[in-house]
Amino acid sequence: MCCQPPLAVDDIEELYQENIERVMNAPKGLPMIGITGGEPTLLGDKLIDLVALVREQLPDTEIHILSNGRAFVDGNYTMRLAAAGGDKLVVGVPFHSDYCLDHDLIAGCKGAYNETMIGLYNLAGAGVCIELRIVMNAINYRRFVPMAQFIHHNLPFVGWIAFMGMEYVGYAIKHSKNIWVEPKSYIPELCEAVKYLAEWNYDVCIYNIPLCLLLEQYRKFAVKSISDWKNKFLDLCDECSVKANCCGLFSTSIKPYEGLKPID
Amino acid sequence: MNYHLLPFTFTRISNHEVLVNELGDMIISPFGTVYKLVNREPVDEELFKSLAANFFVSDTAIPVLSDIYALRLREKKRFLDQFTALHIFVLTLRCNQNCVYCQASSCNEDCTSVTMTMHTMKKAVELMFKSPSPYLTMEFQGGEPSLEPKLLRYGIELAEEINKAEQKNINYVLCTNCVDLTDEVMDICKQYKVMISSSLDGPAYLHNTNRGKKDSYEKVVAGFERARSILGHDQVSALMTTSELALDYPIEIVDEYRRLGFRSIFLRALNPYGLATTNPDWTDYTDRFIEFYKTALNYIIDLNIQGTFFIEEYAAIILKKMITPYTTGFVDLQSPAGIINSVLVYNYDGYVYASDESRMLAEFNDYTFRLGHVDEPYENIVYGKAAKNAAKYWSNEALAGCTDCGVRTYCGADPVRNHSTQNDLYGYRPASLLCRKNKAIIEYIISLIIERYDEVMPIFKSWLL
Repeated sequence: MCCQPPLAVDDIEELYQENIERVMNAPKGLPMIGITGGEPTLLGDKLIDLVALVREQLPDTEIHILSNGRAFVDGNYTMRLAAAGGDKLVVGVPFHSDYCLDHDLIAGCKGAYNETMIGLYNLAGAGVCIELRIVMNAINYRRFVPMAQFIHHNLPFVGWIAFMGMEYVGYAIKHSKNIWVEPKSYIPELCEAVKYLAEWNYDVCIYNIPLCLLLEQYRKFAVKSISDWKNKFLDLCDECSVKANCCGLFSTSIKPYEGLKPID
Repeated sequence: MNYHLLPFTFTRISNHEVLVNELGDMIISPFGTVYKLVNREPVDEELFKSLAANFFVSDTAIPVLSDIYALRLREKKRFLDQFTALHIFVLTLRCNQNCVYCQASSCNEDCTSVTMTMHTMKKAVELMFKSPSPYLTMEFQGGEPSLEPKLLRYGIELAEEINKAEQKNINYVLCTNCVDLTDEVMDICKQYKVMISSSLDGPAYLHNTNRGKKDSYEKVVAGFERARSILGHDQVSALMTTSELALDYPIEIVDEYRRLGFRSIFLRALNPYGLATTNPDWTDYTDRFIEFYKTALNYIIDLNIQGTFFIEEYAAIILKKMITPYTTGFVDLQSPAGIINSVLVYNYDGYVYASDESRMLAEFNDYTFRLGHVDEPYENIVYGKAAKNAAKYWSNEALAGCTDCGVRTYCGADPVRNHSTQNDLYGYRPASLLCRKNKAIIEYIISLIIERYDEVMPIFKSWLL
């Protein structure tokens, strides 16, 4: 369901040089640098060098790496990355299901679940802050509550947990009939899982779901998560009283969610 | 279906089959689930996914994530990591009260030769520092330890002196009835931040009857106020003991604790030690205690539903083992047992015992759990004959009647209790009243989770944060 589908090209060297220059020219007060892909850990040691360079050039900037977490099965690599990143390093890792075969199915790779789980433990052991990302889809939404319980029992060390609405683009369209589900179908499971985690004081948030799809008591968990260059609002949103706090919709998605309505 | 079963136990509660793995993770499932799993018959798809995710079944004989299983098990047994943290010093058997259920064989204030010598205190403090634990709790008991202020001060100041080099984190606790907190005792408590742990059985009529005095309640409550005003509100805690008479007053006891400004209560059953063994019918008492406990717990849950935050401590201990990945340091529900692993007792007579209950047995000439003398080397005490003997029976994973118990992970092993009530450290579970009580309470808590999930879970979670 990748919304940034992988390309079978070796672009590592070329992009790496570009990124070095970007870091060298970045303003010193930059609050955050995101490192994403594709899968950034495919850079291997170059990723550690890049992180070390950011840390050296921009000592106060938070580094956010988005990774499937599988490379962190290598404890030594994980320790070296953690050392390079220092205390302002966050790694976002997608967690598709607590059931390994469902996770593997969504990740499109057999064995991914086991590697990611060990990777999460290695990241925690190295003291790295983890953002656990649950991209909500037709395969995993029935398990949101068991997943929340699983996180509490098995991954209580994560920094925060983000339930993320899916962008209807990339592989999400190609595999649409297997994975696409309208948010209104999973809102009850989403809310129960968020409630479960919030009651345990976990930092839990909801990305990419417009406020009008959530019951009022759950709107406080929603974040304005869609970047300004790819969000949009519908005409009916102009009548909405909470538009200013809403993430809106992906302008890149091919159709809006069902059930949108202005809030008085 | 082709899969392997991982270790778990199960029991039937509230028309459900409750499966519990070695980590204390609990799966609530329909009747017949275990039969189907054993015979590899299909079960509900989502249930099967939960069983696979939570280490109940595995597609390989050794789960690929066995290292994670091991890390989680280590967390559940963390109380073993640093060895003995709680060190109880029985300063004296002298007491200024005469409680009907006294478990400690206390004697009159005028008694002589029932008080710890300075030499014993010195040796005991030195032994305490032999423990590898970076956290030490030095707890003073009696009799009434506040009757021995000089010994109390000597012990604390010696610990402070040694700790200049050892740099451990030390907490001090004074277990006192608060009846006669002199300026001298209060000065010590203030200077060294000593916590006060006291006893209050409930409303005045109940407390005074239990204590065999007309005015104990008034004195104790005045003592609480005095200690709170000098040391701070949260430096004072109280424990209740459920006498036979108390069994009829669950609501009144909880209300009394609230009225006195406490935010929790520990509903504690009588122990069959000391004077308390004169109680006539322990089976009847145990059954009535279980009902008493349920009534009080339900009342406390109702208070919380209505917006009053109030904790029942025993349930909170069990819940921590049940609905979190963590464990507690509570010595009575541990496996391996809390004796020696978590607690050592230095008695006024110069001997070291495995637990508070162990030294109470010694008052009746039963020295089974006397580990050694303070003048002996540390190793002789914690690795000695008595310790080795007790260690054979201190893991409920390996005791008949416990090993296959559905709620074993939430319970503990207690060879001292087995010995004192059944004259057998191993114990015979079918006739064990401790087993009967713990099982009933643990299963009742699970039944609340099954039957009233949405109501009780937010409350139970709030007790553990």
